Amino acid sequence: MRDLFIVAKFTIKDMVKRKSFIISNLIILLFIVIGFNIPNIIKLFTNEDSSTAGTNMLIVDSENIFENTLTNLNEIDLGYNFTITNENLSFEDIKTKVENAEIDEAIIISNKDNQINIEYIVKNLTMIEAVPESIVNTLSSLYTNLQISKLGLTPEQIQSMSPNFTFEMKQTENQEVQGNPIAIMLISIVLFYAIYFCAYQVSSSITTEKTSKIIETLVTSTTPKTIVLGKTIGIGIVGIIQIVAIIATALISNALFLEEGILDGIIDFDNVTPFLGFITLIYFILGYAVYALLYALTGSTVSKPEDVQSANGPVAIIVIIGFYLSYFTMMNPTSELNQVAAILPISSPFCMPFRVMMGIATTSEILISIAVLAITIFIVAKISIKIYSQAILNYGSKISLKDALQMYKNKNV
Amino acid sequence: MGLKVENVSKHFGSKLAVDNISFEINEPGVFGLLGTNGAGKSTTIRMILGILKKDSGNITWNGKTVERKNINFGYLPEERGIYPKTKIYEQLLFFAELKGMKKEEATKEIDYWMGRLKVEEYKNMLAEKLSKGNQQKIQFIISILHNPELIVLDEPFSGLDPVNTEMLREVILELVEKGKYIVMSSHQMTSIEEFCKDIVIINKGKTVLKGNLQEIKNSYKANRLEIDTEKDISKEIEKLNMQILKQVDRNYEIAIDDEEKAYTLMKNLVNNNIKINKFELKRPSLNDIFIEKVGE
Repeated sequence: MRDLFIVAKFTIKDMVKRKSFIISNLIILLFIVIGFNIPNIIKLFTNEDSSTAGTNMLIVDSENIFENTLTNLNEIDLGYNFTITNENLSFEDIKTKVENAEIDEAIIISNKDNQINIEYIVKNLTMIEAVPESIVNTLSSLYTNLQISKLGLTPEQIQSMSPNFTFEMKQTENQEVQGNPIAIMLISIVLFYAIYFCAYQVSSSITTEKTSKIIETLVTSTTPKTIVLGKTIGIGIVGIIQIVAIIATALISNALFLEEGILDGIIDFDNVTPFLGFITLIYFILGYAVYALLYALTGSTVSKPEDVQSANGPVAIIVIIGFYLSYFTMMNPTSELNQVAAILPISSPFCMPFRVMMGIATTSEILISIAVLAITIFIVAKISIKIYSQAILNYGSKISLKDALQMYKNKNV
Repeated sequence: MGLKVENVSKHFGSKLAVDNISFEINEPGVFGLLGTNGAGKSTTIRMILGILKKDSGNITWNGKTVERKNINFGYLPEERGIYPKTKIYEQLLFFAELKGMKKEEATKEIDYWMGRLKVEEYKNMLAEKLSKGNQQKIQFIISILHNPELIVLDEPFSGLDPVNTEMLREVILELVEKGKYIVMSSHQMTSIEEFCKDIVIINKGKTVLKGNLQEIKNSYKANRLEIDTEKDISKEIEKLNMQILKQVDRNYEIAIDDEEKAYTLMKNLVNNNIKINKFELKRPSLNDIFIEKVGE
């Protein structure tokens, strides 16, 4: 136990003290801070809000088609400061006003052959595909109301003509899904990368020890089991620290730099509970342990750094299959396949936190999934440590799968 | 007391790497483990260190069976290596702690040995910045830092310059004086002859020669004569049908199959009033014995 702690401590210190580690992590954190500042940066360059709030809109109704009802527009919150005029202004007049920054946008209303024509004028049409829907709807509604009022109908008759719908959504399945799947899938992707890259570190660390021949000294100082487990724990702790640093930076940046509520449409913060954090942490640890131990095995089978990629190939394929099984079934989270993905040890670390956040994971599902992962870790650890014990002192060519199986069967180790 | 290797064998698949090897180290000193490349030395060392399980036989240290969990030997492997991106002090401390030392005690020993081997200036430097020789000295420190009773040194002098070789030589003698048991594996026969009282020579996994080095050498008859004279004696040598192996000026190395012939040559030279500066009957060197035993 003491040796395990010493190996883990050395692994952590060795990793976090490296310049490459410090620099790459600082860059990631810097990118997060910059990412959360993008709206502010855009504002800085455009010197205006990204929303339409405060946009000065001039409406030219020279023929008074709307019969002065357009003044009601400023009572509706459309995000514009409307100025209404009945002057006869041409496109050139509007252009001058826009260029002189007197207004930002304009609408010219005219009647051509009993057809009401609305021209929407902005400085530049790039990125604007159509006249804003809010303006189209509001003007249509104002005009309709104006025409109805002329029919001499009673208020009740007018009321009965206005749509009074209430829209509701219902599903036939019993399980109700909460939250925004896109945002939650993003969390699964982050979890995948965290598990994959941390586990890969174990392989690369083991190969480095083998190629630098330090393993000869190390293996006489402690047991292969301690080396593998100590290294796995050490790198795992560093991974958790990295994730915590990333999440903390994101939360702090959100609080400091983003306008309140800007992410509400993407993430439902009501679903981000301490329980979800705990479950995500558990699945990161378990998923990382499975893949780190598999990578420990493959890392020990090579003697040259250039062989690491090919040796790790089979594990990389398993991780990717696990991730995609989870990812594609997330599109239909109540499907049986997604339930299976949440239990299978190769995909459950990416899938179960998603199901928990969507509110569809049952306690028994979570417990079964954790139990399956724990059993898998035990089996993988046993196999990996046994093969690692023999493979690390083999400096010949890359060990084949057949050799590895023979090593596992070897009872005299 | 000491290390006892009894009838130890080890297979790798169908290949027999070590075949029924036995030897003993009963008192402190340096024991020579010799053999060609692939003879089974590293496998034997790994079994002694408990990192490889033997198929059969017994290895004991002070009467107790050697197992990984109950040994604390020192080991300088032939394959040199330290963590390239880690500071020297940190890796020395890491290995010392793994060997059960406390930080304060380890730091004291690190300072002593770094000073003793004149590498103290590299204490806070990354290992990759050190020369090969200095890296080797660091690895040697790792093997002795925890004050082990038995130290296995695999090719300790390879790659060292004469100054560092001498420094390491002194340290090894100091360790012997302190009562350490040292197993030295080397292809440098002069080092083995200098340090080892007892040796074992392994070839293709089998013991081909073992015992006290001096007794082994004494069991061989002299096969060369080195003679240094003041005059050219080529004719006298030819008269006795002897073969000159090497001649530098008037220093001759002559092959002899019978010691009597050497004495006859000496008598003839004395009778002819030829002054002899040196007359030495030479037994086979360890190098000669090694080649004879393992050479095909």
